[in-house]
Amino acid sequence: MSFPVMLSELSEGMLKSVGIFVLTLIFSLPLGLVVAFGRMSKNKIVSGIIGFLISILRGTPLMLQLLVVYFFPYYLFGWSIGGWRFPAIIVGFSINYAAYFAEIYRSGIEAIPKGQHEAAQILGYTKVQTFFRIILPQVIKIILPAITNEIITLVKDTSLAFSLSYMEMFTIAKQIAAANTTFMPFVVSAVFYYVFNFVVAFVMRRMEKRMAYY
Amino acid sequence: MKKFGKRLLCGLLTVACAATLLTGCGEKKKSTFTVGFDAEYPPYGYMDENGEYTGFDLELAEEVCKLQGWDLVKQPIAWDSKDNELNSGSIDCIWNGFTINGRENDYTWSVPYVDNSQVIVVNDKSGIKDFAGLAGKTVGVQAASAALEVLEGDQKDLTSTFGKLQEFGDYNTAFVELEAGSVDAIAMDIGVAQYQIESRGGGYSILDEHLNAEQYGVGFKLGNEELRNKVNTSLKELKKNGKFDELAEKYGLSDMTCLSE
Amino acid sequence: MVYVELKNVEKSFDDLEVLKGISLTVNEGEVVSIIGPSGSGKSTLLRLATLLEPWQKGELYYMGEPAVTMQNGYSVYEKPAQLKEIKKDFGLVFQNFNLFPHKTVLQNVSEAPIHVQKREKDVVRKEAMELLDKMGLSDKADYYPSQLSGGQQQRVAIARALALNPKVLYFDEPTSALDPELTGEVLKVIKALAEQKMTMVIVTHEMEFARNISDRIIFMDKGVVAASGTPEEVFNSDNTRMKEFLGKLSHA
Repeated sequence: MSFPVMLSELSEGMLKSVGIFVLTLIFSLPLGLVVAFGRMSKNKIVSGIIGFLISILRGTPLMLQLLVVYFFPYYLFGWSIGGWRFPAIIVGFSINYAAYFAEIYRSGIEAIPKGQHEAAQILGYTKVQTFFRIILPQVIKIILPAITNEIITLVKDTSLAFSLSYMEMFTIAKQIAAANTTFMPFVVSAVFYYVFNFVVAFVMRRMEKRMAYY
Repeated sequence: MKKFGKRLLCGLLTVACAATLLTGCGEKKKSTFTVGFDAEYPPYGYMDENGEYTGFDLELAEEVCKLQGWDLVKQPIAWDSKDNELNSGSIDCIWNGFTINGRENDYTWSVPYVDNSQVIVVNDKSGIKDFAGLAGKTVGVQAASAALEVLEGDQKDLTSTFGKLQEFGDYNTAFVELEAGSVDAIAMDIGVAQYQIESRGGGYSILDEHLNAEQYGVGFKLGNEELRNKVNTSLKELKKNGKFDELAEKYGLSDMTCLSE
Repeated sequence: MVYVELKNVEKSFDDLEVLKGISLTVNEGEVVSIIGPSGSGKSTLLRLATLLEPWQKGELYYMGEPAVTMQNGYSVYEKPAQLKEIKKDFGLVFQNFNLFPHKTVLQNVSEAPIHVQKREKDVVRKEAMELLDKMGLSDKADYYPSQLSGGQQQRVAIARALALNPKVLYFDEPTSALDPELTGEVLKVIKALAEQKMTMVIVTHEMEFARNISDRIIFMDKGVVAASGTPEEVFNSDNTRMKEFLGKLSHA
């Protein structure tokens, strides 16, 4: 296989990896917030269940979770899972990352002094207003470095989609390597991942700087 | 900057959605024939010079589809998940240098079409000449492969003489390890072994003693005789019209075929 | 007119009885200071009056309207809609300011009127600037709280409370977190408010200040009102606890 062909094959795979990455963030970042609220719920049963789910999602391999999400509709209900492959990947990734984000949100929310809530309450803010106008903006600043860590991990985790036979970049790299008995595609994919993460880190650094106004 | 970000996001979303639709369409329609294969398994199934999936098995499947009027869908699968993929209906069959022996009762099998043996490949420099020379050595074998089944089954007495049985994910890595000396020998299919040695320009040998003699077939979900019979008919047709031997020749497997008219 | 009325307030934290039946009435335009040793329940009383702390026993009225009443021996809150109305009647200045760190000084002062009272942005901002001007902070409008001294931050907090036009303003030890030299500037502002007949309840350790500006002083000790009256009455009272308390302070 010529180098340009290899590059174009890997780029195509890269696009799919980026697709997983972007969709996972779009779904897991808000979902994580919802999960965090469940985790901090005053209802012991709700917070208990959510806490248990989080511990499972964080305590078992993502690859295993992907397999479960993809195959369980068939094994449990006998449904045909044709066309479910890509959605299953996004669902699996989003749920898993939501669990991690939820704990980060929780740490950030709990780090905000009680006085901020009380001041907002005295000023007449509703609970929703208090959260979105007063608490969340401060939380984001606190948790941004931790979020950046997770996001960089996500870039590399996209390669786990191979377990559901999704042709993302690293799967393709392995196939090219196998057919051509060469390590070159791995070198190229390493460069791709690095550049991707470099861009991610750059964007996150910009955001951190923008948050440094106070 | 903000606008650009939004546009980029839209673009990516579109791509992702399109990808979903495409795979969604391809996977389940009456006239399609979805073949599950390990795309890291030349010469039976792999990615060619132009980035297309090809190989002896896939071309054979293509010919069967032509005869039956099906559209072939080539679905690369993670080998460890092959049973899940097959049982859940994501694929119609496993067609991938798929060893029958030892799995007779796990799938509904087509006629055997390749006679394959599990063999041991060694680095020429190692000086290993026969099974006895493997005593105390590290032997590599692909996880969940037929070779592993043999080593843990019929040949477990031999296996017990090894220093270590090292499982690996793909053959490329295994050969790099062999080259580097971190494994002393690799157990695999003879067809794969020949392809690997040839494309690496030699330096490796297949031991004369074979671990077993075994055959390849197309594996269907247990009980799916209807589809199996159609494929059998077409395979025999291909043998009759010479197409089968032509493909075997093309992939250097002529000595190994075992399909009769 | 009676602006605030607390009746027979009792409050315990676990087994610790903090308030043992306290009643307090604040009239229109009155400045009431609450003094007393640490742990006497002053701050808890203020937090109950501002509904930050859950009620156990006792009643609370603002402008004659009930917020908390007694039923079957326990406090019961009025409906949320009623409470929401009542909460508009008072403001609170915290010991630790509790300014919003991610908002500028002007935003801190103007956002509640804009988002909570839904008032016209331009009008609110103009009023907020006037308030900041009165506090001597008009040049700090675009600063963030972290860029200000403690005294300046507390003046912003007072402006923030005033921006909602409360009928009663509570101060919870407004100068306790400040260096002595910054205390004066905050006290000056409170004094100016007193001169404008702002109704205020001030929990403080600044005895001289309390004596100067208060219409009435409440001396709390161990969860009860040990002495109350005009500053002269309280500071010259024969109450032994009051004497001890003042003695300790003057020797400190």
